[in-house]
Amino acid sequence: MSAAGSNILEVRNLETQFNTLDGVVRAVDGVSFDLARGETLGIVGESGCGKSVTALSILRLIPPETGRIAAGSIKFEGEELTSLGEAAMKRLRGHRISMIFQEPMTSLNPVLTVGTQIAENVVRHMGVPWRAARERACEMLDLVRIADARRRLDEYPHQLSGGMRQRVMIAMALSCDPQVLIADEPTTALDVTIQAQILQLMLELKEKTGTAIVLITHDLGVVAETTERVVVMYAGRKVEEAPVEALFAEPLHPYTRGLMRAIPRLDVEADAAGTRPRLQEIPGLVPRLTQPIPGCAFAPRCGFATERCRVEPPPLVDVGAGHTVACWEVDRVRASAL
Amino acid sequence: MSEPSAAERPVLEVEGLVKHFPIHGGLLQRRTGEVRAVDGVSFSIARGETLGLVGESGCGKSTIGKTVLKLIEPTSGRIVLAGENISALKPGAMWAHRRRIQTIFQDPYSSMNPRLPAGTIVGEPLENFGLSRGRDTDERVAKLFERVGLRPDAMRKYAHEFSGGQRQRLGIAKALSVNPDVIVADEPVSALDVSVQAQVLNLLIDLQEEFRLAYLFISHDLAVMRHISHRIAVMYLGRIVEITTKRRLFSQPLHPYTEALLSAATAPDPKRRRQRKRIVEGDVPSPANPPPGCHFHTRCPYATAECKVTAPPLIEVAEGHHVACLRRPVGGDPGPLSIPG
Ligand SMILES: Nc1ncnc2c1ncn2[C@@H]1O[C@H](COP(=O)(O)OP(=O)(O)OP(=O)(O)O)[C@@H](O)[C@H]1O
Ligand SMILES: Nc1ncnc2c1ncn2[C@@H]1O[C@H](COP(=O)(O)OP(=O)(O)O)[C@@H](O)[C@H]1O
Ligand code: SF4
Ligand code: SF4
Ligand SMILES: [Mg+2]
Ligand SMILES: [Mg+2]
Repeated sequence: MSAAGSNILEVRNLETQFNTLDGVVRAVDGVSFDLARGETLGIVGESGCGKSVTALSILRLIPPETGRIAAGSIKFEGEELTSLGEAAMKRLRGHRISMIFQEPMTSLNPVLTVGTQIAENVVRHMGVPWRAARERACEMLDLVRIADARRRLDEYPHQLSGGMRQRVMIAMALSCDPQVLIADEPTTALDVTIQAQILQLMLELKEKTGTAIVLITHDLGVVAETTERVVVMYAGRKVEEAPVEALFAEPLHPYTRGLMRAIPRLDVEADAAGTRPRLQEIPGLVPRLTQPIPGCAFAPRCGFATERCRVEPPPLVDVGAGHTVACWEVDRVRASAL
Repeated sequence: MSEPSAAERPVLEVEGLVKHFPIHGGLLQRRTGEVRAVDGVSFSIARGETLGLVGESGCGKSTIGKTVLKLIEPTSGRIVLAGENISALKPGAMWAHRRRIQTIFQDPYSSMNPRLPAGTIVGEPLENFGLSRGRDTDERVAKLFERVGLRPDAMRKYAHEFSGGQRQRLGIAKALSVNPDVIVADEPVSALDVSVQAQVLNLLIDLQEEFRLAYLFISHDLAVMRHISHRIAVMYLGRIVEITTKRRLFSQPLHPYTEALLSAATAPDPKRRRQRKRIVEGDVPSPANPPPGCHFHTRCPYATAECKVTAPPLIEVAEGHHVACLRRPVGGDPGPLSIPG
């Protein structure tokens, strides 16, 4: 990933904070990652670990009344976004960087037809005439395999099923040929058979258009089946990053290992008696983000923790082949059974 | 572990359960149709057994749960709880049986009074059913807190002071307090993070084995389902399309919809994406206007002309394995179906 210009997006030491009644929430606490052109990067972690805030920071959509990017750098095609003016940012959003959210209903305008919404986005960013934009909208609906696209152009969001609305969101997000698509829990609200359709669609479209994707999810199964590289977050920090095969074959952070043991598995043969083996619990709760965390954020729940873990934050260490881990005890972890 | 015994009469028996909701429309709000939320469903659950109910959004899972809890009245059908037919009981007469069947929700917070301390909330059913009073209640509640893994001093806290997983423990303590026979758990871990989900699933299994509880466990998550259930019923548009032991369901699914669900489910294994089978196309039709014949024929790759007109009954095609598919006859070849044409 070192070749100059191969990364379309570079995030460095990002810190995003919110002022709340309970104090300053350090939602993102020094996160760095790169996104290569045409790559699918997964960001995974439990609720509240800072995934959505990371996405909103890249898009500069953090509500200014309560939140701010407190430190760090976000470079898109070499251009610094954290200091970019709002007008320039507006030109980027929905055009060169676009996004899909969990609940399409909240991001679609209920009083405009889906055709109008997609066409407006195309007119705004590509400066083409309305008729051509409508044509583009129709093509896009076709592309996301909405049957009878021309008729659907004139329908309102509430007339569509959840799966169809998410397809419309994808159509809109891809309508201006973005270089980066940020998808925040795009299938979490959908049924499994519809989720499978949407994930497959996203991957096919990526092949066709070469758009790089940041796929944010709490679901390890979705990450395993759709991404090439994965960032694992815990309490606002990146704790591990690896190519997807390496992460699932040899997770090295105790938290990542804990997550993988805590999920019931469909793909592992149940034993013959059909008994129900205990799931491995991760004891305790995620820490509050209103207090600065001195050492490793996972220390209170970690079976490998030592005194040092509680006072000194572990640095991210490259263990080879693009696999990095933030853990003082990584050698002991690696030597222990998975 | 205590396997459910076959000889004993099931603690919950449901036969031919139907629940239709009227649809009102037009200026005068006349009845213009009905949603067939539950359309003739039968099953039973033994003591100590978990029956999983799985299916996509809107297929009628929660409606079944609410009907057996008698929170809503069935349109028709029989519900027999511990040998007693409760289907036609009026609220007053139902009271005596209500203790026996309790519920755990997806979001226990919404059902908790934010102004009452947690100890009072959990003790409420005990007092309501006249099972204990005052100091006695406090002692029993303290024991329940301990049993579900909450510290007794948490009894003085309010619902908003608990995390999602802790609230779910409160909900479990409350359901458990009156010593029920059956617990209807509707998506009890869906809102929880995986690390906390594991804690709650383990607790539910321990409690079941300790008290021989019967669970009707509703979930859309097949992996959770496979973990907790003994038997599983797969639903599609108000009907059970397949019901069998979890072993059989996962090793030899016979209904095309079950096959579709299993191949759509994701697994935390990057190698699996290359093995994925077909993905079923299309959307779930509306239960207000279900397709004729087999409800699944609009999405089924194996559908024949017959499937569009004849509704397949749920039949026992092999021992302990019921399937509703025209192409899965009694004693038929359990191998893959061929795609017609
Ligand atoms: N009170 C009601 N009035 C009218 N229709 C209802 C009512 N309750 C449920 N329905 C309809 O009945 C059908 C079954 O709903 P139900 O809530 O049982 O589904 P479910 O399987 O629990 O779905 P989910 O997975 O989304 O919770 C749906 O079409 C729903 O819209
Ligand atoms: N607008 C906001 N105001 C205050 N706190 C916020 C806001 N948005 C997010 N947070 C907090 O930031 C942390 C990370 O949130 P988020 O990125 O949404 O998590 P997730 O990983 O589930 O997407 C959480 O503690 C959350 O409560
Ligand atoms: S640094 Fe220490 S506490 Fe943190 S994960 Fe590693 S061993 Fe555990
Ligand atoms: S009856 Fe026909 S349409 Fe229905 S599941 Fe069987 S093969 Fe498919
Ligand atoms: Mg989020
Ligand atoms: Mg429901």
